Amino acid sequence: MKVLVANIEDVMREAAARWTLIAYFLLSTIFIIIFASAINLDIVNGALAGATLFGKEMQMPPDHSISIERLVLGFESGFSVVLYFLCTFLAIFATAHLVPRMQEKGTVDLYLSRPVSRVKLLLSRYVAGLILAGSNVIYLIGSIWLIVMWKTHVVHPRFFLAGAVMLFVIGTLLAFAFAVGVVTSSTAVSIMATYGLFFFGLMLVGHERIAAALSKEWQATMINALYWVIPKTAELGQAVVAYVAGDQVPMRIAAALSPMPFITTAAFGVVCLAAACFLFQRKEF
Amino acid sequence: MDGPAIEVRGLRKVYRTSITRGRITALDGIDLAVPQGQLFGLLGPNGAGKTTTVKILLGLTHQTEGTARIAGLPVSDPESRRRVGYLPEGHKIPGYLTARQTLSIFGRMSGLDSATIKRRSVELLEKLNIAQWIDVRVKKFSKGMTQRLGLAAALIHSPNVLLLDEPTDGVDPVGRREIRDLLRDEAKNGAAILVNSHLLSEIEMTCDRVAVLRSGKVVAAGRVEELTRQTAKYKVIATAIDDALLAQFHGERVNGHVELSVDDLQQLNAMLDQIRARGGLVSELSPMRSTLEDVFVDLVRA
Repeated sequence: MKVLVANIEDVMREAAARWTLIAYFLLSTIFIIIFASAINLDIVNGALAGATLFGKEMQMPPDHSISIERLVLGFESGFSVVLYFLCTFLAIFATAHLVPRMQEKGTVDLYLSRPVSRVKLLLSRYVAGLILAGSNVIYLIGSIWLIVMWKTHVVHPRFFLAGAVMLFVIGTLLAFAFAVGVVTSSTAVSIMATYGLFFFGLMLVGHERIAAALSKEWQATMINALYWVIPKTAELGQAVVAYVAGDQVPMRIAAALSPMPFITTAAFGVVCLAAACFLFQRKEF
Repeated sequence: MDGPAIEVRGLRKVYRTSITRGRITALDGIDLAVPQGQLFGLLGPNGAGKTTTVKILLGLTHQTEGTARIAGLPVSDPESRRRVGYLPEGHKIPGYLTARQTLSIFGRMSGLDSATIKRRSVELLEKLNIAQWIDVRVKKFSKGMTQRLGLAAALIHSPNVLLLDEPTDGVDPVGRREIRDLLRDEAKNGAAILVNSHLLSEIEMTCDRVAVLRSGKVVAAGRVEELTRQTAKYKVIATAIDDALLAQFHGERVNGHVELSVDDLQQLNAMLDQIRARGGLVSELSPMRSTLEDVFVDLVRA
């Protein structure tokens, strides 16, 4: 526990001193302010009379058939996708340096000369990174949830499920960034490789169409195999919307709620973290 | 604890070059033992294997053959580092931390509670004369101050074994003396201290025993006095030493005194008898010593 506390203290102090923490939360705050000022709802006697988004008047049916609850659901579902990308990108940017910096000559000796196993040290840093990323997810999701509640008086706790899915994706990508960091000791390579993985995962949602377009059988097999191996970032983005929307979820994205994307993505993350621990354990400094 | 605090037996380390898969032997079967309470100096030219030895003792790199133990535990066991303090050469304490935060993080990683960390931090920083800098960020420290803080981080958990790589690097002469005194105190309190340094005069003044490494092998080991003593040569300050006596004992006049070479103690006493027989008075007679640097250069060039 003391090792974990020491690593959390180290990670947070570094984030604060290097302006990462400030930049991280400042960007999030800018997003929150834009969101707060972009939405203007005209509520008369508890009913939605009109709404503007980014200054543009939204078309409301004359019979007032859109309830305020439905509008909130629409807002939160839509913004959860934006938050999914924002939180993931910021989290990787803020945490990908954790292993490369620790492995720097002159620094790694200070950590490894303590009575702590390398696996414990690496996992403590991983948890510390997740706490840093998680605090930002909570800040973003919580702030937007409060703004929506303040403007509409609608309490919709399902919005927090989006945060849980985001943290799950961040955890998987961070495990990959750690494995790359252990091998390369490079922050830049860790960030690029992890963003590449994220986008590759998005592309592979169309793996069947890509495979059909390929001329060789082995290429098609490889694309299909990669789809099963690589984190399903597209499906998990849909799952964010689906969880927020609940029973109002559109049919086309309801399939994302199946356990398969979660299981295969979790397996990828566990394998990456295990590989990072194994390689770190064997590495010579 | 029975046995030496630091024990190395038949230690070999072979590095493989990454492209040609060639082999470089960094350590070629060395044996070392440092008991509790001893200050031990590890000397050698660049690439002799000093740093590799220390890295193996800390589990930073793995030996190819042989055994390395600290406090009786194999170095592969993280528990062997429970009471080990390490000061690496060119260490980089994160510049964003203050001295207090540095000692808090590394103290916690060594298993200390908050109260002990607080007490030891103040105690050590006062001993090392940087207490007034306790809440200043390390990036504002001079090299010597950073070195002192590194030493404090190595000592925070009151270790029984200290592995120090160039402990006085960048420290001014007064600070060096303070560090030497601190190390002697630690040794007096029972710590086994292994110092790895190029500053031979420092090692000479600090260490009880030394080992000289060359090309991964121990080429000399023993107490500093044993290595630097030249029993066949004596410095004599006396009256009535004439040229005949000088010729008989292969002597020469150097800076107002005479250096005489004798084969054994009987010859030395015969020489004294001859001085007295000439009515001379002996005011000083002492065996000549080489400096550790002389011994080191001879061993390395051999």
